[in-house]
Amino acid sequence: MQHEPSSLLATAEVIHWIALAVMVAVYTTRLVWLFSFKGGKDRSAPAAPERTNAHKGAVYSLGNVVMPWSMESTRTDPLFYVSFVLFHLGVTAGISLAFLSSLAPGLVRTQSVAWIFGTLLAAAFVVGMIRMARRLTKPHMRLISTPDDYFSLALLTVWFLLGTLTQASIAGYQALAGEGWLAAYLLLTAFFLVYVPFSKISHYLYYPFTRLWIGRALGHRGSLPLVRVRS
Amino acid sequence: MATPAKTHKIRMMEQQLQKKLNRQVVGSIVGCVHCGMCHTSCHYVLTHPDDPKMTPSYKADQLRKLFKRNHDWTGRAFPWWVGADKVPLTDDDLTKLQDIAFGTCTNCRRCTFNCPMGVDTATLNRIMRGLLTHVGVMPEGVRVVSKDQWELGNQMGVLREDYLDTLEWMSEELEEDLGHAEATIPVDREGARIMYAINPREVKYDPRTIKEAALIFWAAGENWTMPSEGWDNTNFGLFSGDDGLGGTCGQREYDKARQLGVEKIVISECGHGYRSTRCEAVNWAGEAQPFPMESSVMTMLGYIKDGRITVDPTRNAERVTFHDSCNNARSCGFFEEPRELLRLVTMDFQEMYPNRAENYCCTGGGGAMSMSEYTPRRLKSAKVKADQIAATGAKIVVTSCHNCVDGLNDLIKHYKLDCKVMQLVDLVANALVLPTRESGAEPATVPGEVEIARPAVALPLAGRTILVVDDEDDVRVFLKAVLEDAGARVLEAADGDEAIAVATAEKPDLITLDLSMPGKDGVEAFTELRRAPGTEEIPVCVITGHPEFRTVIYDRPVAPPEGYMSKPVDEDQLVENLHRILDLEAKHVHPTN
Repeated sequence: MQHEPSSLLATAEVIHWIALAVMVAVYTTRLVWLFSFKGGKDRSAPAAPERTNAHKGAVYSLGNVVMPWSMESTRTDPLFYVSFVLFHLGVTAGISLAFLSSLAPGLVRTQSVAWIFGTLLAAAFVVGMIRMARRLTKPHMRLISTPDDYFSLALLTVWFLLGTLTQASIAGYQALAGEGWLAAYLLLTAFFLVYVPFSKISHYLYYPFTRLWIGRALGHRGSLPLVRVRS
Repeated sequence: MATPAKTHKIRMMEQQLQKKLNRQVVGSIVGCVHCGMCHTSCHYVLTHPDDPKMTPSYKADQLRKLFKRNHDWTGRAFPWWVGADKVPLTDDDLTKLQDIAFGTCTNCRRCTFNCPMGVDTATLNRIMRGLLTHVGVMPEGVRVVSKDQWELGNQMGVLREDYLDTLEWMSEELEEDLGHAEATIPVDREGARIMYAINPREVKYDPRTIKEAALIFWAAGENWTMPSEGWDNTNFGLFSGDDGLGGTCGQREYDKARQLGVEKIVISECGHGYRSTRCEAVNWAGEAQPFPMESSVMTMLGYIKDGRITVDPTRNAERVTFHDSCNNARSCGFFEEPRELLRLVTMDFQEMYPNRAENYCCTGGGGAMSMSEYTPRRLKSAKVKADQIAATGAKIVVTSCHNCVDGLNDLIKHYKLDCKVMQLVDLVANALVLPTRESGAEPATVPGEVEIARPAVALPLAGRTILVVDDEDDVRVFLKAVLEDAGARVLEAADGDEAIAVATAEKPDLITLDLSMPGKDGVEAFTELRRAPGTEEIPVCVITGHPEFRTVIYDRPVAPPEGYMSKPVDEDQLVENLHRILDLEAKHVHPTN
C-alpha cells in the first residue's frame, strides 16, 4: 500500500531532483571544458597493422574494466579487483535506489530488489571502510591523498551505510521504520550529486574518454591489445 | 609565514604548460583517482619499498598540481582541497622537481599500462621534464648531451671528420675481411634504396656493429647508403621533454633522406632512436609519415625470409634471452620481429618473464645513462631486471637498444650475473653464411665477434708502445697479453703517480687509463698528463668499471680523452678501438696519410 509522502520527504525529493539538474549542468560544462582543448594527433604510420590498429586498441582499452587479466595490476591482485567491482556496483545500486524510490517505489519494496540493493550497498560500505583503512595506513597512499580523496571516500562510505539502512527501512524492517531514513538518504544523495562534479568522483565522467584515447593511441602504436606470453 | 612570490622560472613554466596541453594530456591529468594501482608496476617502487615518493602517481602529481592550480575550477578556488596548494614557488623547489622527474622515473610507461583509468603517467612526467628543461633546470648530463645534439647534430659530440673516418675505417676492414672490392660502406649515395641511420655510440664505442650491418647489407645485395649528415637516429628531445630538439633531430634525418632520394630509412638497433625517428619526431616536426621507416631488425628478418641472406643458427649455440626495450615494446608495438629473428639465428632461445609490453625497464632508459648523479639509485632499481635475467639461465641477453646495452651491462656487472649483452646484428652477422660473389677473390670466412678475419699483413698495434695504467694486477696482465698479441710493446703502471712518471720518461704512443685507483686516481693523473708539456698530446683511452665517472672525466678543463671503454673489456673491441685512436691520431698529425 502506498502512502502520500510527508512534506519532509517531498522536500527531500525536490531537492534531490534539483541537485541532479545541477549535476547535469556542471557535468556538461566539464565536458565542454575538456573538449575545448585541442585533440592530440599521431602522424606516425600505424606500427603493427597486421596485428592491431587504433580501433582494436580502443575497444580493448574500453573493455578492460571487465577483463581483469588485461592489466598486471588487477591480474595479480584479484581481491582488489573484486572490491573495485563491488564498490562500483554499490554506487549503481545507491543511485538506483535514490531515483527508484521516487519513480517506482513499489519496485524497491519487493524483497528480491531490496535484497540485491541492500547486499550491494552493504558490501560497498565494507569495501569503503577497507579502502579508507588502506588510504590511511599505507605510506604511499597517504602521500598521494588529498583532502578531496579522503572526503570523497568518506562521503561515499557513509552514503553506502545510509543507503543500506534506507533500503532496509523501505523493505519494511521494523527497527528502521519511518520516512526519516529515506529523506536523509535523498538529502545526502543531493549533496553528493552537487559535490561530485567538483571532486575526484567525477572521474567516471572522464573515464570513457581517457580509456578511449589511450587505447586508440596504443592500438595505433601496436601495443594494445596486450600480447601476453606466459611462463 | 608569508608565501614566497613565484620566481620568473615558475611563471615561464606555467606559460609553457599551457602550450603542452591537449585533450589527451588534460584527460590524464584530471582522470587520476589516486587509487594507487600504478604502485607496484614501477621498478623504482619495487626496489625502494620504504620510499613512498617512488609511486608513479606521486611523480605525475607534480604536474597535476601545477595544472590544477592554474586551470582547474576547484584547484583555483580551493587549492588545498585538491593538493594544488603545494605547487613549486622557488628555484629550490625546481631542484626537487628535477630529482623526481629525471631521477626517479625512466619514462618506461609500465605504469601507464597498469592504470585502470588509462592515465598516461609517463607522458605527464615527460611534460614535467620539458617544463624544467624549458627553464634550464636539468641534470648536467642531459644539458651536455642536448647541447651536443643541438650544435653538432649528434648526442655524443662526434665530429663529422671522426664519423667519416670511422666509416672509412670500417669500410676498409670489411673490404679486407671479404676480399671484395664492392664490400664497402657507401656514404651519401644518391638513389640508394635504404638510408641507414645509427646511434653515435656505435661510432664512439662500438664501431664493430657498423661493420656487421654493412656485412649484412652487402650479403643481401642491398643498395644502401649511410648519410654524412642526419645520421644520428637518437633523440634527446624524447628524454628531456624538449619537443623543439625532438623535431629538429627527426627533421635532420628526414631532410637527408629526402635529399638522397632513398625509399626508406632503416634505423639501427636503438630503442629510443626507433621510437623517436619512427613514431614521435613526425609529430614534433609536423611531418606526416615522410618516409617508410623500420628497424634494422625488421630489415634483417626480411632478408632471411626473402632468401636474400642465409644463416646458420648453430653458430649461436649458447642460450639467449631477449630483453624488450620499453620504447620499442610499449610505445611502438615492436616485440615479435626480434623474437622471430632470434629463433632463426640462435639455437636456444629462452623467453624472459614478464615480457613484451609488460617487460621491466633495463633501468638505463629515459636518458638515465647520462645522469651519473642518479647512478646508485638506478643500480638499486635494476635488481628487478637482474632477477628477471638470472631466472632465464641465459648466457647472452639480447636487446635491440643501445641504451639497454649500457644499462644491462651495468647491472650485470653490479649484480655479478654470468652473462653478457649482445644485439641482434651481432648474432645475425655471426650466423651469416656468406654468398659467393664474382670478385676474383676466395670466399672469405665470416667476420664476427669470434672470428674476425684480420689483415694478414701486420699486427694492428705493431710498433706501438702502450702504457697500461690499472691498480689491479690481473687487469694489467690481461690488457698486456691482449695488446702484446696485437703487436704492441706494453709498459705498466699501478697508480697515477707511476703513470705520470712512466709517461714522462717513455713517451708512449697511447695510454689506457683506469679511473678508480688508490693514491692519485685516474682523473687527477689524466688532468696532470694533459697539462704537462711532453705528455699533453699522448692519446688516452679511459678503461673503467665506473661509468658514473664518465661525466667527471669529460668535465675536466682539459681536452677530453680520445677513447672510453667500460669494463669488462672485449679483446677485439679493445684492439680495434686503440687501433682506431692511433690511426686517427696519425691522420690528424699527418693529414696527408
